[in-house]
Amino acid sequence: MAFGLPHLARLALGITVVTALAMPGHGLAQGSLSQSGLVGQPEGITIVTDPAQWPKTFNEAPQLADLVKQGKLPPVKDRLPQDLMVIKPVKEIGKYGGTWRRGFTGPGDDENGNRINASDRPLLVDYTGAKANPSLAKAWKMSEDGKTYTLNLRRGLKWSDGAPMTADDFVFWFEEIYSNKDISPTTIPDMTPQGKPGRIVKVDDYTVNFVFDVPFYLFEDLMEGDTLIGGGQAVRQSNKRSHGAYAPAHYLKQFLPKFAGGVDAVNAAAKAEGFDSWVARLHFKKDWTLNPAVPVLGPWRTVQPINNAVWVMERNPFYWAVDTAGNQLPYIDRVTMTLAENLEVLNLRAMAGEYDLQERHIDLGKLPVILENQARGKYKVHLDTALNGTDAIYHFNMSYEADPEIAKWIRNVDFRRALSLAVDRKQLNETFWLGVATPGSTAPGEALPYFPGPGWREKWSTFDPKKANEMLDAIGLSKKDGQGFRVRTDNGQRLRLQVQAVQAFLPWPKISEMVADQWAKVGIQADVKDTERNLAMTRTQNNEHHIMVWNNGGTELLYLFPRHAIPVDPTEAYMGPEFAKWFNSGGTQGKKPDDPNILKMLELYSSAAGQKSEDRIKTAQEIWKILIDGQYAIGTVGQSPALMGVRLVSERLGNIPARNCIAQHCRTPGGAHPETWFYKN
Amino acid sequence: MLAYILRRLWLGLVTVVAISIVSFVIIQLPPGDFVDAYISNLSASGSMVSQQEAQSLRQQYGLDRPVWVQYGKWMTKVIQGDFGMSMEWGRPVTEVIGDRLWLTIVVSIAAIILTWGIALPIGIFSAVRQYSIPDYAFTFVGFAGLAVPNFLLALIIMYFGFTLFDLKIGGLFSAEYQLAPWSYGKVGDLIAHLPLPALVLSLAGTAQLIRIMRANLLDELRRPYVTTARARGLAEWRVVLKYPVRAALNPFASTIGYLLPFVVSGSIVVSLVLSLPTVGPLLLRALIAQDMFLAGTIVLLLGVLTVIGTFLSDLILMWIDPRIRAGMHE
Repeated sequence: MAFGLPHLARLALGITVVTALAMPGHGLAQGSLSQSGLVGQPEGITIVTDPAQWPKTFNEAPQLADLVKQGKLPPVKDRLPQDLMVIKPVKEIGKYGGTWRRGFTGPGDDENGNRINASDRPLLVDYTGAKANPSLAKAWKMSEDGKTYTLNLRRGLKWSDGAPMTADDFVFWFEEIYSNKDISPTTIPDMTPQGKPGRIVKVDDYTVNFVFDVPFYLFEDLMEGDTLIGGGQAVRQSNKRSHGAYAPAHYLKQFLPKFAGGVDAVNAAAKAEGFDSWVARLHFKKDWTLNPAVPVLGPWRTVQPINNAVWVMERNPFYWAVDTAGNQLPYIDRVTMTLAENLEVLNLRAMAGEYDLQERHIDLGKLPVILENQARGKYKVHLDTALNGTDAIYHFNMSYEADPEIAKWIRNVDFRRALSLAVDRKQLNETFWLGVATPGSTAPGEALPYFPGPGWREKWSTFDPKKANEMLDAIGLSKKDGQGFRVRTDNGQRLRLQVQAVQAFLPWPKISEMVADQWAKVGIQADVKDTERNLAMTRTQNNEHHIMVWNNGGTELLYLFPRHAIPVDPTEAYMGPEFAKWFNSGGTQGKKPDDPNILKMLELYSSAAGQKSEDRIKTAQEIWKILIDGQYAIGTVGQSPALMGVRLVSERLGNIPARNCIAQHCRTPGGAHPETWFYKN
Repeated sequence: MLAYILRRLWLGLVTVVAISIVSFVIIQLPPGDFVDAYISNLSASGSMVSQQEAQSLRQQYGLDRPVWVQYGKWMTKVIQGDFGMSMEWGRPVTEVIGDRLWLTIVVSIAAIILTWGIALPIGIFSAVRQYSIPDYAFTFVGFAGLAVPNFLLALIIMYFGFTLFDLKIGGLFSAEYQLAPWSYGKVGDLIAHLPLPALVLSLAGTAQLIRIMRANLLDELRRPYVTTARARGLAEWRVVLKYPVRAALNPFASTIGYLLPFVVSGSIVVSLVLSLPTVGPLLLRALIAQDMFLAGTIVLLLGVLTVIGTFLSDLILMWIDPRIRAGMHE
């Protein structure tokens, strides 16, 4: 967890880095990512959709075969669905067995396990991150008018307890979980296009319709992404969350007042088990990380809950996928996650070879030491680059008001462009990203359809201090004080910008110090405020910051996670909290943007939900062009392995893709189908 | 006498209530709440929480109500012996702490035994052989031990342990025993893992104790009764151990008050660096996550133990030191 303890963590990091530098000849020449041999070509599994090529006989793990012999489990062919999911692994047919050892940081780290069970969603993107693959659903379709979206579920799909999984589980979620205000107090945008509530309708046992009153073509993207509706059970129903489009009706009904004798009866049962109310009990019972009894659909299910020193998962005997030779997946028997009290210990354990595959919580800054220990830790290092444009994005608060002089300059487009031109991205890249990332604007990766086009990576995002100086002089900031810093036009004092930086998964305060030094060279004073993150969130929500630095991971799919690109979500609206409140409340709260370009972006964003795929992509490109041309946020260095991109893989593991897709919707590492990984010996 | 004890008890109770209020308020002081901490934590690890989910979480935890309402609800439960549910762990607070309490006590007691076992003989030796070369050596090491922060020592020991001796990184159990139920093998494994944390935990305390012991004993050794004892021909070790050492130990009785909470919490920073599954890191984590009931309960527990400890040391002092008893009657 990028959980707290900044000073200690930094100190420990310092020690590790110093030791690393003291060791001669670490294998990484700076700036030569492509030659380092650490970055592979993207690759992934193939799903065989032609039934003629499916295997006719099936195998299963030895433990399951024993259970079948004892009569405790039906034979494997009866556990698998008629509509099979047949996966061709990356390299070869694997072997059964083994325990996958990983590290986790505590009950708040449920994502660590949710992600490896990511196939429990209707659709899951492939290794490119740009195309959807079937998962629980074998087919899907949006109607011509954009009002009806159909999922065709696999016939014979079963929960981990053997009960059939059908359209009823979708209707149950919609009617009994999502529509119950005690469990899920608010509606979600994913089900309410233009504020009009949609419905989930059963057509037959294996066909589900999502029906809307207005065209909602964006729903295709929502179903494919890591969203409230398309996210699946593991992530959306753990840790007190209540979304995810379906739920195990046959199991959860016993905890609901409607099916279990009324509110008083379920409350009494809840009290007897030590819960405050039936709602608290239900939140516990439907959480796969806490309750081993809840039926799931992912490759592994919890046997020892997450709130222990070791979180243990075992194979789901009813998992519905096989390899091309007919072996029921997953190959790996168990997953054990060991609690590390802090990230330093987790990283050290990874280097000691105590984990078999770990990409989560691994610190890019430690890469030299990680490489140094490859041979003794018996692991191989892969660097996987992310799809988002920048790991350090400087959002200008466009709705800032407290200091009119500062507000005036923040609103000046040439001021923002000049500051962007004054950033030496190469220096940042080499210092903080060890030269392995890509400098440039905030635009999403070139591999994605949303990339606005050639030239937009560089637009206003190259290093040109001369031009920056000229622009700042031209807009009326030519006067400087004795030390060469530009002064305010209202009182002649030095113009001081504040950069709010949080110590989270990247050392943003330190990165910002370097940016501030670079700005000082064009006469702009910036004070970096190393802020505790909750305080930063509060200050931002109160519209108090000038500039806020964060990353823009997730914005590569603009419509699914827009909050770090445009001000639409008041939870985190660094570019203008007041605008986000205005947009989100339909104009009743907050402030209407005075910048016509921001208004245009918000309009484009709103219109996209009703547009077909091609138009929607054009709209997103249009938004990115406005964002980059106006430099509402400065992009620095991105498409890097900083977040989950440094992957330590045991030499014993097979079928590991050379490159992982690093993005929220790829569910790293789950998008690479861990159920196909195996131990060679 | 009884009045004295009763008065002490009453004051203790008032202190505990005050501690519970102050700790609850202090935990609430940082901006944001558990849900904010949870959101920013997820956000920093590449996942998101939607506005709708955040709102729903706040309602479930009752964080949308005023502080005094939250405190009142918690206290009513505490009086009935229910310390509430940990927000982060999703289990009753008593269970979460209970899991770690025994291991914490084991580690702390090992550290205390080690501290006293090293410090007392050295302190006595240093005092008896004042200004000898070994005394200078121990003084030097002692000051170094006092000056070097414990957690730094822990980091360095851990790093060299890993690179030179292939020690396991942190924790109290090997991987094969982590999941196993208690057995002789597991106890042996625990004992094998104990020396490192016990050593690191005890070092600063040891240095301090050596200095105190040396100074106290030096004061006593100069008293006339020591000279008298020597003049009467008592063996030197008896002269030293029988009276002056016992007198020099008196101040330790008054530190028992601080020993009790230490036994339960251990040293937070060192435990964190060494990744020990003890109460210390749990407290820090709960504070960072603003998991109020868990943090509040631990702080309350530590407060109560400090109060009990102080009360105990008052009683012990009263028992061993006639001057205090005499003072009460005046």
